[in-house]
Amino acid sequence: MTDAVPLSWVLGLSGALFCIGLFAALARRNLVGVLMGVELMLNAAIINMVAFWRYLEPRFITGQNFAIFIIAVAAAEAAVGLAMIIAIYRNWQTVKADEVDSLKG
Amino acid sequence: MTSFPLLSIVLWLPALGALLLLLLPRNRDALYRQVGLMFTVATFVVSLGLLVSFSTPAGAAASAAAPPTMRLLEQLPWIPAWGVGYSIGLDGVSLWLVLLTTLLTPIAAWASWNSITTQVRYFQVLLLLLETALIGVFVSVDLFLFYIFWEFTLIPMALMIGIWGGANRMAAAMKFFLYTFAASLLMLLSIIGVYALHRSAIGATQPGFGGTFDLLRIVADLRSGAFALDGNLARLLFGGFLAAFAVKAPIWPFHSWLPDAYSEAPTPVVILLSAVMSKLGTYGLVRFNLTLFPEAAGWAAPAVAVLAVIGILYGAMVAYAQSDMKRLVAYSSLSHMGFVVLGIFALNGLGVSGAVLQMVNHGLTTAALFLIVGMLESRRGSRDLAAFGGLWQATPVLGGLTLLVVLSSAGLPGLNGFVGEFTIMQGAYSSPTLGWPFLAFAVLGVVLAVVYLLRMFRSAFMGDTLAETASLRDLNRQELAVLVLLCLPMVAIGLFPNLLLVSVEEGVAGVMRGILVAVASR
Amino acid sequence: MEQIQIPPVDLAVVAPLITVVGWAIVLLLVDVFFVPAGQKRITGYLGIAGLVMAGAVAAPLWGSDSSTFGGMLVLDNFALALTWIFLLIGAISMVIALDYLPRQGIEQGEFYPLIMFAVSAMMLLGQSANLIVMFLGIELLSITLYILTGFAYPRLSSEEAAMKYLLLGAFAAGFFVYGIALIYGQTGTVQLFSTAPGQESLAEYLGRQTFAAVDLTLLLVGSGLVLVAFGFKVALVPFHMWTPDVYEGAPTPVTAFMSVGTKGAALAALLRLLDMALPSLQPIWLPVLATLAAVTMLLGNLGAIAQSNVKRMLAYSSIGHAGYLLLGVMTVSERGVQGFLFYLLAYSLTNLGAFAVLIALEQRGEAAWSLDDFAGLWQRQPFLALAMAVFMLSLAGVPPTAGFVGKFYVFMAAWEGGLGWLALVGMLTSAIAAFFYLRVIARMFMQEPVRDVQPQLFRGLTLGISIAAAGTLIFGILPTLLINVVQQTALAVGR
Repeated sequence: MTDAVPLSWVLGLSGALFCIGLFAALARRNLVGVLMGVELMLNAAIINMVAFWRYLEPRFITGQNFAIFIIAVAAAEAAVGLAMIIAIYRNWQTVKADEVDSLKG
Repeated sequence: MTSFPLLSIVLWLPALGALLLLLLPRNRDALYRQVGLMFTVATFVVSLGLLVSFSTPAGAAASAAAPPTMRLLEQLPWIPAWGVGYSIGLDGVSLWLVLLTTLLTPIAAWASWNSITTQVRYFQVLLLLLETALIGVFVSVDLFLFYIFWEFTLIPMALMIGIWGGANRMAAAMKFFLYTFAASLLMLLSIIGVYALHRSAIGATQPGFGGTFDLLRIVADLRSGAFALDGNLARLLFGGFLAAFAVKAPIWPFHSWLPDAYSEAPTPVVILLSAVMSKLGTYGLVRFNLTLFPEAAGWAAPAVAVLAVIGILYGAMVAYAQSDMKRLVAYSSLSHMGFVVLGIFALNGLGVSGAVLQMVNHGLTTAALFLIVGMLESRRGSRDLAAFGGLWQATPVLGGLTLLVVLSSAGLPGLNGFVGEFTIMQGAYSSPTLGWPFLAFAVLGVVLAVVYLLRMFRSAFMGDTLAETASLRDLNRQELAVLVLLCLPMVAIGLFPNLLLVSVEEGVAGVMRGILVAVASR
Repeated sequence: MEQIQIPPVDLAVVAPLITVVGWAIVLLLVDVFFVPAGQKRITGYLGIAGLVMAGAVAAPLWGSDSSTFGGMLVLDNFALALTWIFLLIGAISMVIALDYLPRQGIEQGEFYPLIMFAVSAMMLLGQSANLIVMFLGIELLSITLYILTGFAYPRLSSEEAAMKYLLLGAFAAGFFVYGIALIYGQTGTVQLFSTAPGQESLAEYLGRQTFAAVDLTLLLVGSGLVLVAFGFKVALVPFHMWTPDVYEGAPTPVTAFMSVGTKGAALAALLRLLDMALPSLQPIWLPVLATLAAVTMLLGNLGAIAQSNVKRMLAYSSIGHAGYLLLGVMTVSERGVQGFLFYLLAYSLTNLGAFAVLIALEQRGEAAWSLDDFAGLWQRQPFLALAMAVFMLSLAGVPPTAGFVGKFYVFMAAWEGGLGWLALVGMLTSAIAAFFYLRVIARMFMQEPVRDVQPQLFRGLTLGISIAAAGTLIFGILPTLLINVVQQTALAVGR
C-alpha cells in the first residue's frame, strides 16, 4: 500500500480536510456547522498522524496511539459542545452564532 | 557590626507608632492626634542622637577610589539570592535631610490638629508611614531597598492628597501618583541594568559572584576600575535615574503635576510634599546620578543645568502671576528647586555642597511659608491675595515672622537662603561645565524671587486694612512656638553655616571623588 | 506480531495526580448519594480537603527527579512547585465559591469535583514531557472549563460565554493536534526531551542536526501551529478576542480560577516545550514570541483602560499579565524560570483575591461591577477596600507587594537574557496599567458612595480574601521565602 499511494497524497488529503474544516469553523453561522468544522480539523490531524506512522515510523506505535487519544477527546468535546448547543437553543430559540450576543465585544 | 542600631530606630519608630495607632480603641480623635504627635516628636528627639556620630570628623578617605564613607552603617541580608541587603547608613548629605524630615513631620502632625477633622486615625497612620518611608529613602544604601522606600512614599502621599484634599483632590492625587510612578519605573529598569552589568563584569573575574544591589560595593568597583559604566548604555541608564528624580524634584518641564498636587493637598501634607518629598528627587541626583555615572553626569550637565535655569525663571514668573497664595508658594518652590539642581550639575564640591545646604534651607522656608498660608486660610477662609490687606495691624507677630521667612526665601544675607544660593552660584561660576551665563540667569532668578515674594507680602500685610481682615486674630501660643521653631534654624544657618557645611562637605567629598576624575579626564 | 511492552510504572511520580483525580471521582459519587441538596457546601469542604491532602502527598517528593510511563510524565521540582501553586489556586477558588453558588442559586455539587478535574489537568500539564500528554492535559482542562463557564445555566451570559469558549477552544485544539502531527512527521517522535539514555526525543533530534543541512519546514510549521493554539489558551494578542466575553460571562469564581490557572498551566507547558525541547531553535522563535509578548502587554493594558466594568477590566489586565509571564518563559534561563514561577504565584494570589472582592459585591441577579459600585467602599467595608487596594497595587507592581517582586524578577530575567527593550516595553505598559488599577483605589477611598450596593461578606469569602492578601504582602516584604524555593526548581530546566 505504501508503494501504491505516496505519502504526499495522503498529506494533501489531510491538508485539504484541515482547510475545509477551518473554513467551516470560520464561516458557518450555524453553531452545529462550526462544531462540525472543528471536528474535520481534528480528523485531518488524525489522518496525518496515522499516515506518518505508517510511512515513516511503523516500528513504534506513537502515531496510532495518538490517533486513538484524539478520537476519544474529540468525542468528549463534541458531547459537551452539543449539550451546550441544546442549552443555548432552549434559551434563545436559535443556533445561529451571530444571534447569540448578550455580551458586548 | 553589632553597635546600637540607632538609625534603624529612627527609621522604624514612626512605623511602630502607626501600628500602635491601629490597635487603639475607636472614636478617640484627640488620642490619635496625641499619639501621632508623640511618635513624631520622639523620632525627632532620637534622630538628634545621629548628630553625635558626626561630632568627630571622619579620617581621610583611604584612597581616592574609596566609596562614600557611611556612618552608622547597618547591613543585614534580606534577599541573599539577589544580593539585596537591608543596608542603611548616613553620610553628611543624608544626615541633614533626615533631620529635616524628623523636624518637619511633627510640625505637619501638629498642623493636622486643626485642619484634619475626618478619619483622624488614618491620617495619623499614613503620616507616620510616610515619615518612615521618607527617612528610608534618605538612609538606604542598597538600590533595591531604596526603590522600595521610594515607591512606598507614593502610597500614603497619594492617599493623603486624595482623601483629605480640596475639591479636585482625586484628579490631583491620580496625576501625582501616575507621573511619579511612570518615571520611577524607568529608574527601576536602570537599577536592573546597573545590577546586571555589574554582575556580569565582576562575574567575569570572580566566578560564582551572584550580583549585588549594594551601592557601596558597586561604587567601590566603579572607582577601582573593576567595573565600568560608560558609553551610550550608561547614558541611557543615567537617563532612567534622571527621569525619576526630575519628576520628583520637579525639574522643568516635568512639573505639571505640581500645581495641582500642591494646591489640592491640605496644609500638613503640602508641608511634607514640598519640603521633604521634593528633596527626594534632588537627593537621588546626588546619591545615584553623580556617584554611579560621573561620566554621563558630565555629559548631561549643561543640558540639565539649562532646564534648571529655565525652571528658575519660569517658576518665578508664573509665581508672580498667581493670586492664590498657595499656588504662588508652589511655583516659588519650583523656582527654588531649580537652584538646587543647578548646584548639583555644577559638578564641583562648592555647587553640590550649596545644593545640599539649599535643600535643607528650602525645606525650612517653604514649610514655614505653607504653614503661614494655611494659618491665613483658616482665619480668612480664602487664599486669594485680594482677600487680604493691611494684616500687619491686626497680626503684627505673624507679620513679623512672615517677613523673616519671606526674606529668608528671597535670599537676604544673614539668613539661610543666602548662604545656600550664594554657594550654588559660586559653584556654577567656577564649574568646569557651566559658567558665567548660568550665574547671570541665576542672579536674575534671585531678583525675581525678591519681586514676587515681596509683592505677596506687601499685598497681604501692607496697605490699607480691609474690613474683613481687621479682626483676624494674631498667633496663639502654639502657632507662635511652631513658627519660631522653624525660624530659629533659618537664622542659625544664616549666621553659622559651618554648622552644616562641615559635615555636608565631608559627605559631598565622598560623592565627588568619582566626578572629579571623570570631569578632569574630559 | 510483536508483544506490546508495557513499561514499568513508578506510582510516586503520579501520586499527587492520582490523589486528586481519585478523590474527585469518589467525591462525585459521594455528592450524588450522600450529600443532601442545599448542603452542597459539604462537598466543597471535602474537595478542599482532597486538595490539601494532595499537597501533603506531594511534599515528600520534593527534590526527586524521575519519570514514568516511558518518560511521558516527569516529576521534578519545577512540576512540584507548579503542583502546589495549582492546588492552592483550586483551593482558594473553592473557598470563594462556597457562598457564591447558593447566593446565585446555582448550587450543584459537581462544581467542586469539576474544579478538581481541572486542577488535575493543570498538574498534568506541569508534569508532561510528551506532546500527547500535553494534548490530553489541555483538553481535560478545557472541557471541564467549558462546563464550569456555563455553570450558571440558565443565565444567558454564562451560556453564551461557554459556547464562545468551547468553539474557540476546539478550534485551537484543531491547530494543536495538526501541529503535533507535523512535528511528528518531521521528527518521528512526540517526546519533548529524553528521560532515559537512548530515548528518542525532540531535543535529541535537534541536537543531532546541523541547521544548514536539514530542511526543518515541517517542524517549524508544526511548532507555529502549536504556538497558535497556546496563544488561544493563554490569550495572547492577537488570539485574545474571546477573553473579555468569556471572563465576564462565566461565574466569578470560575473566572478567577481560569484567569490564573489556565494561563499558568498552558504557559508552564509552553515553557517545557520551548526551554527543554526546542531551546536550540531559540533564534527562530524568540523574535516571534518577543513580538507577541510586547503586543500582548501593550494591547491588554490599553484595552483595560477603556473599561468601566471592573470584571472586564480585570479580564483585559489578565491578558497583559500573560505578556509579563511570557517574559520569564522565553529567556531560556534559570532566572527566567524562577521569575515565571514567582510571578505566577504572586499573580495567582492577587488575581484570585481581586475576583473574590468582586464576588462580595455581586448580588443575585445583579452584578455590581461598575467602577461606581466601588465608590466609597472604604466607608462601607474597610476590610474589602483595603484588601482590594493591596490587590490593585500588587497587580500594578507597586512595592511592597508580591506583584512588584514578580515584575522585578521577570524584568531582571529579560534584561539578562538580552531583551532589555522588552523590559522597557514592560515598564511602560506597567505605567499604563497603573492608571486603571489606581482608578479603582481612588474610587474606593476618595469618593462618596454613588450607588447603594451592600457588599456581603461570608466566612469563606473573608478567609479566601485574607489568605490572598496576606500572601501578597508577605511575599512582597519577605520574597526570600519564595525565592529560595523557586531557585531549587529551576535546576531542572537546562538539562
